[in-house]
Amino acid sequence: MPEYKGMVQPVRATPDEMRKIHIEPVPDEEKPQKALEYLDEIRKKFRSFVLAMESCTKCGQCAENCHTYLGTRDPNNIPTNRAELIRKIYRRYFTLEGRWFGKLVGAEDISLDIIEQWYSYFYQCSQCRRCAHVCPFGIDTCEVTFIGRQILHWLGITPKLHASVGAAMERVGNHTNLPKPGIVDTLEFMTEEIMDEFGVEVEFPVDKPESDIMYIPSSADFLLNPYTLMGAGMFFTYIGANWTIPSTVTEAGNFGLLFDQYYTQRHNVMRLLNAAQDLGVKKIVWGECGHGWRAAKMYIPSLADRPVRWPITHIHDEVADMIRKNELKLDPAKNSQPVTLHDPCNYVRACGLNENMRVIMRACVSDFREMEPHGMDNFCCGGGSGILFDDPEMYQRRIQLSQKKADQVRATGVGKNGDGILCAPCSICKAQLYPMVEEHELGVEVKGLIDLVGKALVWK
Amino acid sequence: MPSITVNGVEIELDDDGFIIDPDLWNEDVAKAFAASEGIKELTEDHWKVINYLREYFKQYHIAPMVRKLCKETGCSLKYIYELFPSGPAKGACKLAGLPKPTGCV
Amino acid sequence: MKLLIGQILPYITVTLFTLGILYRLGRWAGARIVHNITLSPWLKSNTEVAIRIGAEAFLFRNLFRFDLALWAGALLMHFALLNILGGHVVGFGFLGEQFAFIPGISPELSKEMSDLLGTVFGILLFVALLYLLYRRVALTPVKQVSNPSDILWLVYLLVLVGVGNIMRLFHAVHVEYEMVRDYILALILFQPVMHMELLDNVFFLTHYLLVQVLLILFPFSKLMHLFGMFAERWIVNRVYKDPAPGLPNVDVAAARRAGIGLPSGGAAEEGV
Repeated sequence: MPEYKGMVQPVRATPDEMRKIHIEPVPDEEKPQKALEYLDEIRKKFRSFVLAMESCTKCGQCAENCHTYLGTRDPNNIPTNRAELIRKIYRRYFTLEGRWFGKLVGAEDISLDIIEQWYSYFYQCSQCRRCAHVCPFGIDTCEVTFIGRQILHWLGITPKLHASVGAAMERVGNHTNLPKPGIVDTLEFMTEEIMDEFGVEVEFPVDKPESDIMYIPSSADFLLNPYTLMGAGMFFTYIGANWTIPSTVTEAGNFGLLFDQYYTQRHNVMRLLNAAQDLGVKKIVWGECGHGWRAAKMYIPSLADRPVRWPITHIHDEVADMIRKNELKLDPAKNSQPVTLHDPCNYVRACGLNENMRVIMRACVSDFREMEPHGMDNFCCGGGSGILFDDPEMYQRRIQLSQKKADQVRATGVGKNGDGILCAPCSICKAQLYPMVEEHELGVEVKGLIDLVGKALVWK
Repeated sequence: MPSITVNGVEIELDDDGFIIDPDLWNEDVAKAFAASEGIKELTEDHWKVINYLREYFKQYHIAPMVRKLCKETGCSLKYIYELFPSGPAKGACKLAGLPKPTGCV
Repeated sequence: MKLLIGQILPYITVTLFTLGILYRLGRWAGARIVHNITLSPWLKSNTEVAIRIGAEAFLFRNLFRFDLALWAGALLMHFALLNILGGHVVGFGFLGEQFAFIPGISPELSKEMSDLLGTVFGILLFVALLYLLYRRVALTPVKQVSNPSDILWLVYLLVLVGVGNIMRLFHAVHVEYEMVRDYILALILFQPVMHMELLDNVFFLTHYLLVQVLLILFPFSKLMHLFGMFAERWIVNRVYKDPAPGLPNVDVAAARRAGIGLPSGGAAEEGV
């Protein structure tokens, strides 16, 4: 079913689901015209988009540097060709050369088929920005697929996964529909687990007024990543912080970045600022979530509708700072398995977390092996931008998209004895890699970075 | 809209085969889902997992943390995958009539 | 025909070239940098930004880091092109005697140097363009990203450069620097045009016409990447300073002395 003229496509949200997130789907026959209108409006606003449209020379360097192209060898998955899907329309309607020379310069009329092509290929892009990183000009295809997805959203074409996350964000303030009682129960369970395993007393205060620090965990941690929650709780307890988790925005992610930067993303920012004000906090500390950290660190300043009174840092920044100041007692021997680090794209190419993650890694594990390439040059896990679709066709595609990562992990040899750790400190990376390390039989367990900090802390 | 007919009652499902109205769930629905998931027979352990999920969902309106599910039912994650080949979220939750989990899961 | 190409078209060309570029740059400037999409690791000062943009624009840093063959071809092409453009200006401007400004070099030697450099860079440029064309037709991914116009531009430049090289290599069709200088000078000063007989040389005529067409098309083509390079880099390479780490009211040493978290220790009281 999720296929259109031979192209894979994620399952899309129904018209009713779109209405839940305030979009009235545009009828098919009006879609091409409306798409042009939206494109015209948006191109006049974003210079990053205009330049991606107008100054690519097609040198082809991005091709071999895109994990999606490497995994699928589909020419439309070459970053510049992915952008070309929109560029050919842009040329045709918004440039003189496109109007005069047409096909010769690669200009094309808009049609429903083109829009369906956008849907297929813009949701195979992980928006990892590796192409921007390697492009001689710095052209950011991520900006193109952001805008392509935005236009699709306004037309009423959004993956079911993204739309249901958008609805959940508006309903309860997190991606997974976690209500407060569920949050509290899970955190109490974490308290018990920490006592059982580490013998320390850790409490997770929820909505505690007059807290100094507001910690924003990823809601996926509450379902899938217990050690990430435990690690954060243990860290804040260890340092004696007056901290709390807000139940109104228990979400480090912000899928708005990935499909609707106008309403959904902004709405979530307001929730966050409201929570910070209500709880009277002094600082906001972010949990492990790649796109969410980018959305917070780089987009809150331009999305907030009021002055942002709270400094916002990432928990890795804070842990690394304390390690540098020698304030934490950590025992790397407590994490003695071989560990390699998968750099979440948004951390290293959009948020500058590269070095801090390594400071933590070196302090917390005894056998750390870098994969190649690593840091800012690292490849995406293949799930980036929330393309965690699980229908059979798209799931097969996810396996292809993670091929490069599998090759990288294998080359480090950490999984040789079946006891390796693949540290992937981002919820999307974790959700993608949990099944993928099995599919590719890598012999590693997927963990966050705060997970390893929690384990390495020396309490006495 | 896909649907499944159990004991003469037509039950609406979403595109992923998850039940839309959890109140329409009953044990026969679970059995029907099991067939579609390729599970031959629902054993006692299957029911233990399903019943725990239902109880938890009734109280908290969310599925429990996978680790908690394992701990409370005494089933390892590996064993849960043996029971429900699509896993705890997409297999067990579906049989238990919970909505499909969203987000980075 | 000669009158059109030699006396009227140049003014049209320069006008369209200038206005076209201004129009295009104006379009770019009209759109804004909405969100901060700087690439990390961060550049910490404007000096670092200038160095980075300079390294990308003039040394093709990224091509060097990720594709050495493309880097070699592209850098050679652009470096040769830059020298040839410069060579046209000083060569005609100083009639090949530009190097005589360097002490110890005679005007005769300068002319020979000028000839030699022009010839060498002309050939290098031609070869580099051929290599880029080879990539477009022979390497699968590059072929897959190419539009007809991408290949046409390379062919166009090859013809343009080829004709230029012929004039340089074959004495029979060589043009006199002095005549060209006087012709251009007259055009620039809006004086009655001289040396229209230059255009009787079919190679010169072709070369000259191709250059003019290129300049007219320039603002409406991928050649705008000359400016795009700086405009795009200005978005993704800028100074960013991280907010300072450090948590409010946290005293780790005191917390550890109090044994917070340890079952036997005191309960986690505020401000301990």
